[in-house]
Amino acid sequence: MDGYRHIIEWLGLIVVGGPLLLIPVLGIPALLSYPLSERFITRAGQTVVVAGLLASLGILGIMLTVHTNQVPIDIGNWVQIPHYHLFLKIEFDRLSVPFVILSFVLCGTIGAFAARYMHREPGFNRFHVLYSLFLAGMIITSTAGTIETLFTGWEMVGLSSALLVAFYHERPAPVRNGLWVWTVYRVSDAALLLASVVLHHASGEGNFDKFLGTASWPEGHTVLTEQQAFLVGLLILIAAIGKSALVPLSGWLPRAMEGPTPSSAVFYGALSVHLGAFLLLRVSPLLDQSRWLCAIVVLVGLTTAVFGAITARVQTDIKCALSFASVTQVGIIVAEIGLGFRYIALVHILGHACLRTLQFVRAPTLLLDYHNIENAIGARLGPNNSGSPNGLSEGWRMWLYRFALERGHLDSILMDYLVRPFLRVFETCDALEQRWTDWLSAGDSRQSEHARRTAAAPDDFL
Amino acid sequence: MKVAAELLPSQGPITAFVFLNTLQALEGLPVEEGMKKGSRLFGCQVYLPEDRYREHLVNGRILREDLEAELEEDLQSRGADVIAGLVTRKAWRMAMLEFPLRFGPTEELQWFVAESGALDHLRDEMHDSLRQPFINETRQWAMRDLRMKTSESGIHRQDSLLQHNLFGDLLARFGADSIERWSDATWETFSLQALWRISRHGVHIRDDHPLPVPQPLRHQNWMQLATGEDTDRLVHDVLIRFCAAYADQGFAPWALPKRNEGLFRSFAALYGQPSGVPDAWMQGLTREIQRIERAGLTPLQSVLESLELLGVGEAEWPEFIPATCLALRGWAGLLWQMEVRADRVPVPAPPGTLVEFLAVRLILDRVALVATARRHGMETQPLSELRNVLQKMLAAPPQASIAQRAFLVFQLAQVLGWSAPRLAKLTKQDWHDLIFEMEAFSGHERRRLYHEAFERRFRVNSLDAFIVHACRPAKRVESPRYQIVTCIDTREEGFRRHLEEVAPTVETFAAAGFFGVPIYYRGAADAHFATLCPIVVMPKHWLTEEVALTLEEEHRRRAQTRKAIGQASHQVHVRSRTIAGGALLTAAFGVLASVPLVGRVLFPRLTSKLRRRLGKFVETPPVTRLCLERSQDPPGPENGHVGFRVSEMAEMSERLLRDIGLTSGFARIVALLGHGSYCLNNPHKSAYDCGACSGGAGGPNARAMAAMLNDPRVRAILYQHGVEIPRETVFLGGLHNTCTDVVTFFDLDLLPSSHRADYEFVIRTLAEACERNAHERCRRFQSAPLNLSFAAAHRHVEGRSQDLAQTRPEFGNASNALCFVGRRSTIRGLYLDRRSFDQAYDPKSDDAEFTILGRILGAVVPVCSGINLQYYFSYVDSPGFGAGTKLPHNVVSLLGVMNGPASDLRPGLPWQGVEIHEPMRLLLVIESTPDAIRKIMARNAAVERILRNEWMQLALLNPDTKDMLLYRRDEFTPYAPITTELPQTESSTNWYRGWRDHLGFAQIRPTSSPASHH
Repeated sequence: MDGYRHIIEWLGLIVVGGPLLLIPVLGIPALLSYPLSERFITRAGQTVVVAGLLASLGILGIMLTVHTNQVPIDIGNWVQIPHYHLFLKIEFDRLSVPFVILSFVLCGTIGAFAARYMHREPGFNRFHVLYSLFLAGMIITSTAGTIETLFTGWEMVGLSSALLVAFYHERPAPVRNGLWVWTVYRVSDAALLLASVVLHHASGEGNFDKFLGTASWPEGHTVLTEQQAFLVGLLILIAAIGKSALVPLSGWLPRAMEGPTPSSAVFYGALSVHLGAFLLLRVSPLLDQSRWLCAIVVLVGLTTAVFGAITARVQTDIKCALSFASVTQVGIIVAEIGLGFRYIALVHILGHACLRTLQFVRAPTLLLDYHNIENAIGARLGPNNSGSPNGLSEGWRMWLYRFALERGHLDSILMDYLVRPFLRVFETCDALEQRWTDWLSAGDSRQSEHARRTAAAPDDFL
Repeated sequence: MKVAAELLPSQGPITAFVFLNTLQALEGLPVEEGMKKGSRLFGCQVYLPEDRYREHLVNGRILREDLEAELEEDLQSRGADVIAGLVTRKAWRMAMLEFPLRFGPTEELQWFVAESGALDHLRDEMHDSLRQPFINETRQWAMRDLRMKTSESGIHRQDSLLQHNLFGDLLARFGADSIERWSDATWETFSLQALWRISRHGVHIRDDHPLPVPQPLRHQNWMQLATGEDTDRLVHDVLIRFCAAYADQGFAPWALPKRNEGLFRSFAALYGQPSGVPDAWMQGLTREIQRIERAGLTPLQSVLESLELLGVGEAEWPEFIPATCLALRGWAGLLWQMEVRADRVPVPAPPGTLVEFLAVRLILDRVALVATARRHGMETQPLSELRNVLQKMLAAPPQASIAQRAFLVFQLAQVLGWSAPRLAKLTKQDWHDLIFEMEAFSGHERRRLYHEAFERRFRVNSLDAFIVHACRPAKRVESPRYQIVTCIDTREEGFRRHLEEVAPTVETFAAAGFFGVPIYYRGAADAHFATLCPIVVMPKHWLTEEVALTLEEEHRRRAQTRKAIGQASHQVHVRSRTIAGGALLTAAFGVLASVPLVGRVLFPRLTSKLRRRLGKFVETPPVTRLCLERSQDPPGPENGHVGFRVSEMAEMSERLLRDIGLTSGFARIVALLGHGSYCLNNPHKSAYDCGACSGGAGGPNARAMAAMLNDPRVRAILYQHGVEIPRETVFLGGLHNTCTDVVTFFDLDLLPSSHRADYEFVIRTLAEACERNAHERCRRFQSAPLNLSFAAAHRHVEGRSQDLAQTRPEFGNASNALCFVGRRSTIRGLYLDRRSFDQAYDPKSDDAEFTILGRILGAVVPVCSGINLQYYFSYVDSPGFGAGTKLPHNVVSLLGVMNGPASDLRPGLPWQGVEIHEPMRLLLVIESTPDAIRKIMARNAAVERILRNEWMQLALLNPDTKDMLLYRRDEFTPYAPITTELPQTESSTNWYRGWRDHLGFAQIRPTSSPASHH
């Protein structure tokens, strides 16, 4: 019995340690201004992915042969003070193993794709450092056995995603959209962090197997009361909403299409957009405890699906159309989780991720595809107005089109009713502070703010 | 409006990439002026950065003598003027060019002076012979003049006093008492400090004639300068989405409501309705639209009203309207193209769409301006005053500061060896002249000069090579094994050269790749007609392909299967984005998608082989025919109206043969090769196809021409016209795939069995030429090792074309720089590095009016200069004129690409397609005389405009004497070659192997007969 545990521990080390090791291997030389060759970077990435994939397949094989559903690997207590302990643990079970395999397959394929696609791009190295950060984040989140471990991976995914959206930082639009993504992620991170604090407060535990019961996923039973489960579940749902672009935070997903095609493909179209759903799956015993929570999850999921489907119908560009299609499916997946179809949701995630990645990677070939399909059919492919609500009056149809074209006004609602008031509070504080410092310095205390753009060199005049 | 429309990018749907001069609207101006104006209008660079040119100066791509020659030519007699009694204008400008000057904001320069040791050590670039005199002069001056409180002579009393005030403390700081014991280093520092002070003091004069600074035009510019807020961001967010929906060719399942009522009406309908919660800034929009609706304004009236409300007077229109359209030039240009070239899009736009666009844009502009101004607490009533309000908020327009000017003088004085005492003698007027000269030779001017030197070096090298090579005895190949006619494309230069090396008995020709057959063409498996002719031509004929009668049944069955597969894949495409269909597809079959995903990404060649094998079962049967002959008039796409009359065929055939000078000495086989490119995942694919077929593959044109020439009735007419084609000559039409380097022929079933052996020879030699051509191409691909064998190189380029992840399937015409119009025998055996367009033309067979050359130049000049300048501008300013990097591109409306989720449309070429380009105006070399060119220019306005304004460089090679004439400033001047020898090499491969960059010219002199080997 112990023999196989030992092997799994070693394999687990390869699965998690490989991607973690890749970050400094690619990142530190770049920091020291020692550029690595494209060849080396690609090889290093491939080695890690292939080793990780084989190791995770090995784990799957062992788990199937010895009929075990859950293998936790402790990495020990890192902080232990009264009332709190930080415990790191990874866990291989029926949920994490498929997710790890999926991550390796997709990241590996896209890594090979990017090696050629990004060839000679000035940011080649940066892309691959962020890619390794993302990969490590995905693996850690998938295999996390405690909420703190999960949070670590969750943050790595968030950071690398935002930076990849802003990959072309010499143009303003990617930077702006990168910031948008980052802000939404921070909101969802805050919710997850709060959830973990509440958990510790309520049960004194962040270990999934403690507060979700020792039975292997998805049969666990939480030790929390219904109210506690509802509160924690709600916070986790908020985290999931942000990460999975559910209503009302869906607006970031099309904005994430600023990066190079491979990063949009694997990161936002396929993997990271499912992390919210994964989180809900991971804590699904909480859902069992609270019916209200389930109802809310289903409601959010279905709203998102309907919203995504309507919006996708008016998108005129391939990447936005695909990203709203992703939103639709993730909405359905979340609804499935709320309804208790855990395995269906898992299969749905795997299938959706693969198909969407393929579609994203092939996005630039859209024109050729259309050409070929039109030749085969022998007619033009015009708008088919499928799903168009014919029963509606013209005014309503117009309204619906506008609603879809403006993406449900979600971003402007957030901007006008959430962001602006939030900023206004700080601006008011800032004005107060300035008054105070002006008084203290008996005059203008912020000359630097009035500095004008300096005159350009005489050379700039044409 | 018309001015604006002409300035807009002329790129229609990206599926037919259009190679035209990006600044085509300015072609009526001499090139320098056009460039300058274009740069200002578009806000883009028209030359490379100065540092790039200076790198070329260092690595020898530009020589110092080139700079001098170009300066000489540019300044003419003004070069000898002496400025401030110090230096000639030419030497002054040369110094400004030759030595890197540091510019920057005042703060940066102050920091640089204080921190970098610029005041301690002389500049590294300063010539050794100047260093010691520089220090000695200052030293003497300091010892003699500066230390004395009053001058003995009394003449320079005033000056000395001043100098004492300037330098007194400097002397004190360095220790005036120990001045005789100062070390050399101290003197160096002292000299520099003194120079810096005198420069600062000297430039401290009032500017009487400051150089004019262009003022911003649009309200948005003023708003951005005053508040830092860009109202275009708000406007474009809405406008891009809306334009994309309007222009959509059927990608989105829901069409824009009321699209057929025009852009303006549909916008009004969509945004005039009260809608839940719009963005804060758009709250005034609904009311504004409703007001316009009530007033019943037409789009044009609305434009006029907006201009009035914005306070733009009629005098400003000619500048304001183009600037407003150019702010979102990609979309505006596309709408304009949909309006004027309705034949090129399935869903066109009605006339007047650009005006409607402008009307919508101005309404949005106004709303955004009001909202932004209000947020900043500005007065917005009336809006026409807004520009004045904003103008008042701004400080004076930026001008060069004291430090900036002084630092320039300081740097230049060093490299020219002017010490402080020399500058101290300058009068106020001298200083004035000095500053004026310095600023008159602005960055733009310096880069223009550099650019001309850059072009000059290449021009000298090429003309020398042409002259040397042309002087060797040359004649047509005698009784050739076969003849081949390719496109004039630069890619075919390499292909033909290798073919001539592999089989020296083959004669090659080149003509524009539509072979004089402009058609709308539909293949047996195509749904629509494609336009196969240069963009400037409107075809009058239609041509279709049909399957041979014996295979009709098979064809129908396969077409049905294809249709079923097509419908299924379209359903998957669309359904995967819906709720129910998507759920079913992804949950049930999604995981299966990993098979093609992994297969296509990791094993592209294998997967494509598999796909091709499977595709064999459904593709059109192999035996097809062109419906070449028309039975009813007029020509049209319907049955019976497709094709040509025999007389038309004869006319086109004769024209082609006469153009290329192939009217006698026919071989048994004459092959005509169109070309196209096959690659995946590339929205810009058509940019790699044949430019003379406006982004299509020229196979059908070659096939049609070959079929015409094989027609005995055509041959009979040709015979009457004096062109006798022997009975045993067979014409073959084919297609050269420039990406995979594979040649395929059409109508092989009609090849007489007597020609079987000849055909096999053709195939064998072409295959070998293809392999070698692929090998030469591979040297430019960084990801292909330099030591590939021919066969491996061929496999490599095949892999590239099948690879989803490949952003550089080939380099197209990226290396273009030359164009030769003349006999192949003149340049056969000259290694041209795939940089030359090549049009066959025999000056001996032309008439006194130069009809043939006129016809040729009428096509070659606009087409080649269009390709060349498209590459030029896409290279010098990739994000501005070009499409930028293609990695974040996103196909929109089935018409073009954007960056990421929303941006202006990106016309122009992506960076990956131009990165090996050397931006130069094309150098056209014609075997002809000034008389001919003058006659042709008088006849053809387009040719005249391009050549006279020098958007293309022109040189004439005298067909008899082999003298070269250079055409500049409307004069033909003799060109004197510098070298008389060229490097010799055994074969192309020997010359190019192991090298990735551009290569020089060489003569290929095979020492032994080439054997078929690898």
